[in-house]
Formats: sequence, C-alpha cells, structure tokens
Amino acid sequence: MKKTITYTLLFLLAFSFLLPFIIMALGSFKDMKYALLDPLFWIPEDPTLSNYLYLFNDGIFLRWIFNSLVITIIPVFSQMLFCAILGYIFAKKKFPGREVIFWVFMAVIMIPQQLLIIPKYIMFADFGWINTYWALIIPELWGIMGVFLVRQFLQNIPNDLEEAARIDGANDIKVFFKVILPLSIPVVATVGTFSFISNWNDLFQPLIYMTKEEMFPVTVGLASLLGKEGDFGIEMAGSTLSFVPTFIIFLFFQRYFTEGIQMSGLK
Amino acid sequence: MITLNNADKINEELESYNKGKVPLKDRMKRKKGDSSYSKKPKLPFKERVKRQWDRNAIVYIFLVPTLLHFFVFQVFPFAFSFVLTFLDWKVIGDPEFVGLKHWIAFMNDGLAWKAIWNTVLFSIYYIVPTMALGLILALIINSGVKASGLFKGIFFLPVVTSFVIIAGIWGWLFRGTESGMVNYLLSFIGIDTQLFLADSDQALMVLAGLSIFKVAGSTMIYYFAGLQSVDKQLYEAARIDGASPLRIFWTITFPLLKPIHFYVAIITTIGSFQIFDSTFLLTGGGPNYSTTTIVFYLYQQGFAGLNLSYAAVLSYVLFFIILVISLIQRKYLGQDTNHY
Repeated sequence: MKKTITYTLLFLLAFSFLLPFIIMALGSFKDMKYALLDPLFWIPEDPTLSNYLYLFNDGIFLRWIFNSLVITIIPVFSQMLFCAILGYIFAKKKFPGREVIFWVFMAVIMIPQQLLIIPKYIMFADFGWINTYWALIIPELWGIMGVFLVRQFLQNIPNDLEEAARIDGANDIKVFFKVILPLSIPVVATVGTFSFISNWNDLFQPLIYMTKEEMFPVTVGLASLLGKEGDFGIEMAGSTLSFVPTFIIFLFFQRYFTEGIQMSGLK
Repeated sequence: MITLNNADKINEELESYNKGKVPLKDRMKRKKGDSSYSKKPKLPFKERVKRQWDRNAIVYIFLVPTLLHFFVFQVFPFAFSFVLTFLDWKVIGDPEFVGLKHWIAFMNDGLAWKAIWNTVLFSIYYIVPTMALGLILALIINSGVKASGLFKGIFFLPVVTSFVIIAGIWGWLFRGTESGMVNYLLSFIGIDTQLFLADSDQALMVLAGLSIFKVAGSTMIYYFAGLQSVDKQLYEAARIDGASPLRIFWTITFPLLKPIHFYVAIITTIGSFQIFDSTFLLTGGGPNYSTTTIVFYLYQQGFAGLNLSYAAVLSYVLFFIILVISLIQRKYLGQDTNHY
C-alpha cells in the first residue's frame, strides 16, 4: 500500500518534471501556424521538419550555436587546467601569503556578478572587447569556485605519492602532470561540467557584451526569438537544438554535477 | 645523495612548520637578537630566492598571472564600481564628480524600493516551496525505490537547462488565454481563464513557479546527502517503539536535517535576490512593474537607460543585501564555506 503511494507520487512528479521537455521536443516537429489555437497542439499529428529546416537555412542560428561553442569550450578546458594547478598550489604548496590570498578569493566570491558587470562593461568598451569573444572568454579562464573544489579534494589526499615522485627527482611541473592531475580527474571533471553549464547557459553577460546579432550566443539568440509571437515551433526547435549539448554532457557527467553541488553549495 | 637531498627537504619543511607555530611575540623577540635564533646564519637573499624558486617554481609561474587576472577582472571592477556611484558616467564625454547624488536619488526612487519589495515577495513565493519540493523529492528517492538514479537525473535535469529554454516553454504553458495549456487544465476543475503573466498579482508567482521547477533538483541533492547521513539506528529504534512514519519524519528526520535546512535556505535566498532571466524573458518587468526585480531594474537603468552610475548604486544595494545574508550564514555555520 505504502509502496503504491510512493510509486504513484514518484511517477506523477517525474512526469511533471519531464512534461516541459516533452512539449519542447514534440512542439519542435509541429507546424507553427497551429501553435496558438490548441492547448494540446504539441501532440504530433503531422510531424514536420520545417522548423529545423528553417533554422538551418536561416544561417544565423548556426552562427549562434558556433558562438556558444567558442565561448564555452575554451573556458571549459582552460578552467580545468588552471583550476587544477591553482587548487594544487593552494592545497599542497607552502609559500608566503597563501592563506591570505585564499581568504581574499573566498571573500570575493560573495560579490554578485551583477555588480561587476557595469564596470566590466566600461572596461571592455575601452579595450574594444564589445562584440568580441574576448569579453566572454578572458574573464572565464579560471574560477575561484573551481580552485576551491580542487583544493578541497587534494587536501584529503596524502602526500606520499608526491613525495615518492620527488625522491625520484621529478620537478614541480612533472609532479603535477604525472601524479596530481591523474589523481584529480574526478574533481577536474566536476569543474569542467560546471564551467560548461554556466557558460553555455549564461544569458546576462552576453546580453550586455554582445549587441550584434551575429555575435549572439544561442541563449541571447533564442531570447530574441521568444519575443516574436507565433513562432512557437521554431522557438522549440531552437530550444531543442541548444539543449542537445547540455543533455549529452549531463548524460555522461551527471555524477560529477551532483557531487560538485554537494561539495560547493553552488546555485 | 638523493636521500640526503630529501632529508634536507624534510628538515626544511619541519623548520618552516615549526616557525609557523612559534607565537608572533616570540618570533619578534628572536629577531631582535635573541641568541638562540641568531646562532643559525641567515641565508643570503639570492640563495633564498633560488631555494624558493626550486621548490615553488609552479607557484610563481601560475600564481602571478592569476593574481593579475584576479585584480583586473574582480578587484579593480569592484572598487571602480564603487567610485562610479559618485560620478556621472557618460557614455561619451568625461565623467563628472557628483558626490552622493545617485545615492540620494536611490533613497527617493519609489521604483527602486518597489523592485526591492518585489524581490522580497519573489523570495517568499519561492524559497519555502523550493525547499519543500526538494525535500519531498529527496525523501522519495531515499525511500528505496527502484531506478532511483534515473529519477534523480530527471529531477535534476531542469537545473542544468538554461532559463531561456524553460522560460520559452513556461510562457507557453501559462498563456493567459483559454487556449493556454494550464488554463485548459484549470477549466476541467471549473476555474475561469486566468491572465497569469499579464496579471500584476499573478505574474510574480508564475515566475516563482518557474524558478521552483528549475532549482528544486539541486535542493533535492543537498537533502539527499543529508538524509543519507542520518543514523539508520534512530529509525529502527523509533519503529520498535511503534512510531508512525509521519511521526518519525517530524520528530527525527526533520529536526536532524536542521543544518541542511539552514544552508539551503541561505543559498536559495541569495539566488532569489539575483533573479533576472525569467523576468527579462517573460514579462519585461511588467505588468505595471509587478515583476521588476532589483537586477532587472539595474539592467534597465544601466543598459537600456545607459545610466551606468545609478545602476552601480543599485548593484551595491544588491551587494549589501547579499553580504548580510552571507554573514548570517557564516555566523551560524562556522567561519568557512567548507563545512562539507
């Protein structure tokens, strides 16, 4: 009896959590002219690829996807590398000012991004970075949260291996790449997945730094479609396409997301 | 030779460790010529630099550029933004010092206070339901159902999906006409067509609903971790005493999750004060400013109205609010965030 109730509730909740995604996927195959008339319009009767064809032929949509890939992939790999190195430095190295610097990092993390965006806009306008990828790549090359995660992870790992490598005469760089990095793969994967999601999904920053349509990432591009009444099918096709990379990353790295969330308290 | 080298290193480590342990007062004393300290000859500067480099090359190669980057993209903007609040920053032309003009303007800006109030209202609609839903999801997942990993994934999916995608679907679900899907479903239980996003009393709730849907999955993860750390023997004992499942929940599980409740409350509160995407995408702050949140107002002032200095004031107000919330967190949860 109790089991039946639990499972009923579980399936109901799972269905309601999936419903928006089902509507998105099915809606993307429907002709947009029916969109406004029927509340259940997304149930397929005469599926069509016209929405997808429209987006592919339009050209600009593929450019948005490309822009999103550029401003996501570069920071993801850079964050993985630099957060790993910096996390290692703060976990294992002894140097003057270590605690103070880390303390300042952890204090600065409390500053909301929305505060920094106004001065950064003025700075980037000065650098000539508005409507360039630099504005969204350079500031994201490393992240305090990533350093924090790697540091936490490495602090729980004994120094034996590192010491052994040093006795064999390995220098710092070698120790890092041969010993520390292979050990840190789980936490580095967490840093990478977090970075992917935050950059791929970011709306606020590109909204401000990118004003030309051809420089929009897919989030800002989709937002510009959202305003146009009656294009529901195209909007859903665009949403589906922009969701695919997230979904693939999620399928493969779900564990790292949830572990990272528990470790950090991000979001 | 190699071992000798290593012994030397260990000695050095020990020394630096011990040095850290000596109270500052004593160290000061020693420096002033205490015999026990001055016996050890100080290495020449050049030699010390070389030693540091040999041991810590990686620190200096990577830390220096990082600190530079940190200064340019975090510290400097933070300070610059504060200076900005006392200037009239023009897009073209030189800035002009205006003192507290923008701060005073903020004090008298009814719309800014309405934006703060709207944000507080949003938090009220959003925080408790998000926590409750996250807890319910975690309880179900933790109750030993089959394929719990799959369901966990389903509930977590909205967390990784962008606001733009979810807002697009949400706006369609909550269309304010009789052909809107939620209105269609409501008509079965005899509720009239609602305006939802076009109604100034309902719009903020619909946006809160979107955020609840999007964030409950991550609250679930915290609660799930909390539930797994509860001692199973407590449940056993209560069951033997004949306590009902509901009673077990309210007298054992719920109170034991207290640190999680508090932590989740803090992070959802901080998140709710930064809400921007859904109001930008779905309502544009309306109708009648009922969904104008702090960050949306900041965006409007700064980037639609190009009043960057005033936007900087608003961003500092946001910062102070978040700072207070974070300080409460630190006070109750210890000095650091690393309590996990």
